[in-house]
Amino acid sequence: MMELRITLLVIMGLIAIWFGWRVFRTNSMVRSAFSLLASMVAIGGMFLVMEAEFLGVLQIMMMGTEMSIMAIFMMMYMMDPGGLGQMDMKHQEKPSIVVAVATGGLALAVILLTKWGRIISEAPTPAQQNHDLGIEIMERSMMLFESAGFSILTAMVAALATVLIIHNNYKKEN
Amino acid sequence: MSAVLSWIIIGILFSAGVYFVALLERWSMSGRIEWSGPFHSFLQAFGQEEIRTRRYDTVFYEATPVIFIAVVLLSITILPFAEGTVILDLGTAALFINAALVYIMVSLIMAGWSANGVYGMIGGWRAMAQLIAYSMAVVMAITAAVMRAESMGMLEIVQSQAPLWNIIYQPVGFLLFYFAAMAMAFLPPFDLPVAEGELAGGAWAEFTGTRKILFRLGRLLLILTLSLAVSVFFLGGWLGPWLPGFLWTFIKTALVAASFFWVGRYFPRIRHDHLLEWGWKYAVPAALFNILQVGILLLL
Repeated sequence: MMELRITLLVIMGLIAIWFGWRVFRTNSMVRSAFSLLASMVAIGGMFLVMEAEFLGVLQIMMMGTEMSIMAIFMMMYMMDPGGLGQMDMKHQEKPSIVVAVATGGLALAVILLTKWGRIISEAPTPAQQNHDLGIEIMERSMMLFESAGFSILTAMVAALATVLIIHNNYKKEN
Repeated sequence: MSAVLSWIIIGILFSAGVYFVALLERWSMSGRIEWSGPFHSFLQAFGQEEIRTRRYDTVFYEATPVIFIAVVLLSITILPFAEGTVILDLGTAALFINAALVYIMVSLIMAGWSANGVYGMIGGWRAMAQLIAYSMAVVMAITAAVMRAESMGMLEIVQSQAPLWNIIYQPVGFLLFYFAAMAMAFLPPFDLPVAEGELAGGAWAEFTGTRKILFRLGRLLLILTLSLAVSVFFLGGWLGPWLPGFLWTFIKTALVAASFFWVGRYFPRIRHDHLLEWGWKYAVPAALFNILQVGILLLL
């Protein structure tokens, strides 16, 4: 059973990496966004294999919406969103390679240098996990989640206010 | 009754349900009940020439109908038909159904984009605008139902309604979920992504033949699944006197499906900016009120 799970985990991980690579191998913004979505869904699948059911389902749900919204913004702001015009979509190639290698190395170092402890053979049941997560959010991490929620709300209000200024000025002029 | 027999009966009832929804779909457009109508349109689409557009996106074009029908089938697996009769009893079922049905929108965007046509693409992006309008209402209405059951499992959600169905316990949540479910299945008056007569079929405009059959069949299954979800979350699922549980489930599901089409027949198509406005200005505060009301009732 454990071998099967680890095999599935590796397969899901490889799928995630492959789609992550595909993101940069296409000129079409929509293909790129949906490749990223497939990669994220594979990561959700990894959570499910690791019996973190809530996290897995949440990941799959959130990414579906988020990547689609990202796709429409990429379409709006790119000059050749379909990739049919054979335009070069890359810019600042060398600095981005340097940054990517550095952050990749940092992530690897964190993975290798952390003491992960032993592998847990028995995970709590999904219902118990949901309960524990709820207690965690309502007790120890409450301040963190509340401040994150409040900053997002502030950003939303600020964004709307910015748009409304433009909107109202446009109305006055016409 | 043995488990195998009840599963066979459920399978037959489910297929009959799909046929029933197909009949209703035709009724909502023509106003007549045509018993052989669904078979006619199936044969017509089956014999149709497969037409593809110029420079279409092969992977998206071929994958979309399959994704569409697959996510609907996935969401059926977690909905209970009777006590203990559920294919997959997930601990996070209430969240899972929403997660699966988000990919209806993803599939519509992919369909609209892949065909390389204007109407299709507008239809696809409209599907996303529609999701932004209804998703908050769906999630918050489900949250209130989950709060009462103190569990995300579907069996517990139904059992929590034994004293009083959620439609009476939280009527605001029911109304939100009901209309959001219609928007999720892009039924009229929320049929913006496929708007017949305005976008000539929208996201599906360029699909013909067997691919169109997969979409149409997936849509019928989707309507039935969402009716089942409405009856599980708010109408007490299998709960009811005298008859066996699964019969109650199907009676409620059929009534909800019929009411979807009845409502759709008598309302004009909503404008997408109005939909977004109502979704955020009225549905979100109403959903928050619903959560507050359920919270107070639970603490009393």
